[in-house]
Amino acid sequence: MARNVAINPPKMCQPMGAILAYMGVHGCVPLVHGSQGCSTYPRYNIARHFRESAEVAVSSLAEDAAVYGGAKNLTEAIKNVKSRMNPALIGICTTCMSETIGDDVKLISKKALPPGDAVKIIPASTPSYVGTHLTGYDNAMRTLVETLAVKGEPNKKINFITGIINPGDIREIKNMLRIMKVKNIFLSDISETLDTPIMPGGHKPLLPDGGAQPSDIIDSANSLGTIAICRAAGSAATYLQNKFNVPAVIAPAPIGIANTDRFVQNIGMLSGASIPDEIIRERGRLIDSIVDVHHYMFGRKVAIFGDPDLVSAIVRFCAEAGMNPTVAMTATKQKDFAPDIKAVNTEYKTDTQILEGTDLYEFHESIKTYRAELILGNSKGKDIADDEGVPLVRFGFPVYDRVGVYRYSIMGYKGSIYLLDQMTNAILGHKYDPDKLHQ
Amino acid sequence: MTTILPECDIPIPQRQPHIVCHEPGNMILPMCNVQTVPGDLTERGCTFAGCRGVVGGPVKDVIQLIHGPIGCAYYTWGTRRNLSDVKLHRKYCFSTDLAEDSVIYGGAKKLYNSIIESHELFPEGKAVFVYSTCVVGLIGDDTEAICRQAQEKIGIPVVPFHCEGFRGVSQSLGHHIANRTLFEKVVGTEEPGTTTPYDMCIIGEFNIDGDAWIVKPLFERMGIRVLSVFTGNASYHDIPPMHRAKLNIVQCQRSSTYIAKMIQDKYGVPYINVSLFGMAQTAQALRDVGKFFHLEENAEKVIAEELAKYQSKIDQYRKKLEDKKCFIYQGAPRAWHWMGPMRELGIETILTATTFGHKDDYEKIMEKANPGHVCIDNPNALEIEEYLIKLKPDFFIGGLKEKYLTYKLGIPFINGHSYEEGPYAGFEGFVNFAKDIDVAVNSPVWKFINQPLEAK
Repeated sequence: MARNVAINPPKMCQPMGAILAYMGVHGCVPLVHGSQGCSTYPRYNIARHFRESAEVAVSSLAEDAAVYGGAKNLTEAIKNVKSRMNPALIGICTTCMSETIGDDVKLISKKALPPGDAVKIIPASTPSYVGTHLTGYDNAMRTLVETLAVKGEPNKKINFITGIINPGDIREIKNMLRIMKVKNIFLSDISETLDTPIMPGGHKPLLPDGGAQPSDIIDSANSLGTIAICRAAGSAATYLQNKFNVPAVIAPAPIGIANTDRFVQNIGMLSGASIPDEIIRERGRLIDSIVDVHHYMFGRKVAIFGDPDLVSAIVRFCAEAGMNPTVAMTATKQKDFAPDIKAVNTEYKTDTQILEGTDLYEFHESIKTYRAELILGNSKGKDIADDEGVPLVRFGFPVYDRVGVYRYSIMGYKGSIYLLDQMTNAILGHKYDPDKLHQ
Repeated sequence: MTTILPECDIPIPQRQPHIVCHEPGNMILPMCNVQTVPGDLTERGCTFAGCRGVVGGPVKDVIQLIHGPIGCAYYTWGTRRNLSDVKLHRKYCFSTDLAEDSVIYGGAKKLYNSIIESHELFPEGKAVFVYSTCVVGLIGDDTEAICRQAQEKIGIPVVPFHCEGFRGVSQSLGHHIANRTLFEKVVGTEEPGTTTPYDMCIIGEFNIDGDAWIVKPLFERMGIRVLSVFTGNASYHDIPPMHRAKLNIVQCQRSSTYIAKMIQDKYGVPYINVSLFGMAQTAQALRDVGKFFHLEENAEKVIAEELAKYQSKIDQYRKKLEDKKCFIYQGAPRAWHWMGPMRELGIETILTATTFGHKDDYEKIMEKANPGHVCIDNPNALEIEEYLIKLKPDFFIGGLKEKYLTYKLGIPFINGHSYEEGPYAGFEGFVNFAKDIDVAVNSPVWKFINQPLEAK
C-alpha cells in the first residue's frame, strides 16, 4: 500500500489481543500498563462482541510517568490488584506509552511483590506500535508459557493454541477431541470465561469460572505436542519445542474439508489416536452439505477480510465449495497468508486477489474491480456490503451488530457446515429467484 | 454526611473520601477530579477519549485523523452514537498508524502526508481534525507546525488537538482541550450569512441516538434560529459563527461549559444552563429561553402541544414504575440531569456515580438527593458490583462496560451513554426513556433467576 494514511484498517493494537489471551486463563487479571484509555477501549470492544463484562486493571499512567517513568504506578497497581482480588495470575500488557518511556516491566514486576509470592506475574511486552492484536495475543501467550511451564512427568496430552477465535469454536474443537478421546490442554480458553451464564439468584464469582488452569499451563512442557491453529500466534509452541522438546505443529485453522482433515491428522500424528467413525460421519455431513448447495453457490464471487489464518482457511473452504473467492484481505502481515492463497489459486484455478497489511478502503476498491456477491468479515464490513448492495456474513472479531455470532463455531466439519449454511442462506435470502427455491 | 469505605476497598482506603452518604444539614461532597488509584479497575477513559470521542468526534463533515499507533483510531471508529445526516465522521477511520520507525525517527512526515492524502481521497471533508495520542506527545512531533504547513497546501482548515491520553486524570481534560482548541482556532473565523435577533446555539448536545433532532425543533417552533449545535450533527462550518449568537444554552455542563464561557468572555454572549431531559426540565428550558428572547407565549404554546401529545404516556409508564429505585452512573451530568425526571416516573435515585465529575456536578447531585443517597466518584468495577449487591436497585443506568456485569447479577439495565432505543432528550425522548425502563424492569426474564431448577 503506497498510502501513508490508513483508512478503515481492521486491526487493533497489541494490548487488545493480550487481554483476550489473559481472559482465557482461570484466575488471571489483565493489567494494562498505560493510560486509562488503553484498558477502557479494549474492555468496550470485548463487551460489545461477547456481551460479557471484561474486568481489566490499568496502571493509569499520567504526566508524571511521562517524565519520571511508570514504575511507581505499576508497582502500586500490582499490589492493589493482588490485595483486592487475590488472583492466581496478573497478566501485564505494556502499551505504546510505557514502551516509549522505556519502563522495564520485567524488573518492576519482579520487585512489586515479595519473592515467592503466590501471585504469579506475567510480564508480556506488547508495544502498540508493533504488529496488531494478534501480535499481542502471541506475546502474551508466549510469556505465559515462558513464565509458567516446568518440565515434569509426561502427561500424554496435546496443547492447543487457538488464537483469537470464539467460545463456540473452542467448544467445537473440544467436542472433536472428546470424540477422538484425546486429552488436551488449551493454553488460553475463553469458551467459559467469555460466555458466562446467569446463575440462580444472580450469584457470580469475582472472576469468571472456566479458562485454562494455571496448573495446565505449567504442565504444558510435558505434553505430546502443541498444535497452534493460528500461525500468527504460534511462538509459544515454538518455545515449548525449543526448550522442552514438545513438538510444535503450527498449521492452518480447521475450516473446510482439507484444513480440518489436516487438523484431525495432526492430532492423530501427535497422539496416536485413530479417526473414529463419528468424525468420518461429521466429515461426510460436511461433504453432503456442500453437495446440497453447490448449484446455488457454484462460482459465487465472495470477498473475505479478517485475521490472516481465518481468511486463508475460509478462502480454501470457499474454493472447495465451488465458489469464487475474488479478494482476500488481512491487515495483519503473516508470512503464510499469500502462499496459502496462491496454493488455492493453483489447485482450484481461482484468481483470488491477495491484500496483506492493508485496510478496508483498499479492500473496497478491490471489490469494485473484482466484484463480490457476498462479503465475509466482521462488523466493520457493514458499510462496504451496504454500498455494494450485497450481504455480509459475519465472522471474526469484533461482531457487534448481530447477536450470538460468538456462540457458534465456524471450525471443524460441523462448524464449516454452519458457515456454509450462513453463506448460502445469505445468497438465497438476498436476491435469489424464489421460483428456484422449490428444490 | 459520612464517607464510606466499601469492603472491596479495605486494601485501598484512599478511596474512602470518594464515596459519601448524603446527610442533609451536614453536606460534604465526594473527593473528585483527582488521579485514579492505579490498578483499581477504574471505568475511566483518557484525555484522547474526551477530546476525540465526545466533543470533536460528532463534527460530521471533517476528516477525523488520529495521529498515533492504530489502537486509538480503531477503538473510536464509529463507536459513539453521535448520529448525523452525513456519514463521513462515523463511517471512516483515518489514522497515521504509527509503527516503530516513526516512534524512533518521529511521525511528522507521515502525518503531513496523511493529511494531504486524506484530503485528496475525501475532498468532501470540510476540514481535518488531527488528534494526538500518547506516543505523539512523548516523541514530540510538532503537530502545530505540520498542520499549518498542510493547511497552506490543501487550503482547508487543519486543526491539531493536543489530547494525548496520559494528560490529566480522566476524559474531562479532553473535553476542555477540544473546547479551547475549537474556540481559539475556529470560532470567529467566519461570519454567519445572516443574523436574526433570535439566534441561539445549543452547546453540549452531541446528538446521541438523535437527541439533537428532537430538541432543536422545539426551539425552532418557538421562533428561535438555532445557529449551531455544538457539536451534535454539526458541520464544520456551524462552529465558526457561534460568536454571533444572542444566547447560548448549555446541556452537557461538564464537557462544554468551557466554550460557552469563552464566548461570553470574549464576545459578550450570555449563556444559561439547561436540562433537556424529562418533561419538567425540558419545559423549564423552553421557558428560560422564551423569557430571554421575550417569546414566552411561544414557549408556552410549544410546551402545551408537547404535553398534550406525551404527558398521558408518561402517566401510563409511571403507573408501572412507581416506587422503583435506581442507580445512575454516568460520565457526570446525566447523573443529575436524570434524578428529577426519574421522580416524574415515581422512581427514586438511591445511588449515583460519575466517572469524571467535578465539584459542581456533585453539588448538583446533592441538591437533588434524599437522605441516605450514596454517591461515588470515579467508581471501579468492584465497587459497582458491591453496591449493586448491597443496595439492590431495581435497575441500573450505566454504560456498556457495566452492562453485562449488571445482567449477571440479575439486575435490569439501561445504557445511558448511547441509549437502548432512544433518543431520550426532550418530551418525546422521555417517553422512549420511560419505555426502555419499563422494558428493562418488567421483562419476564428476571423471574427465572429466582426460580432455580430442582429435581422433582
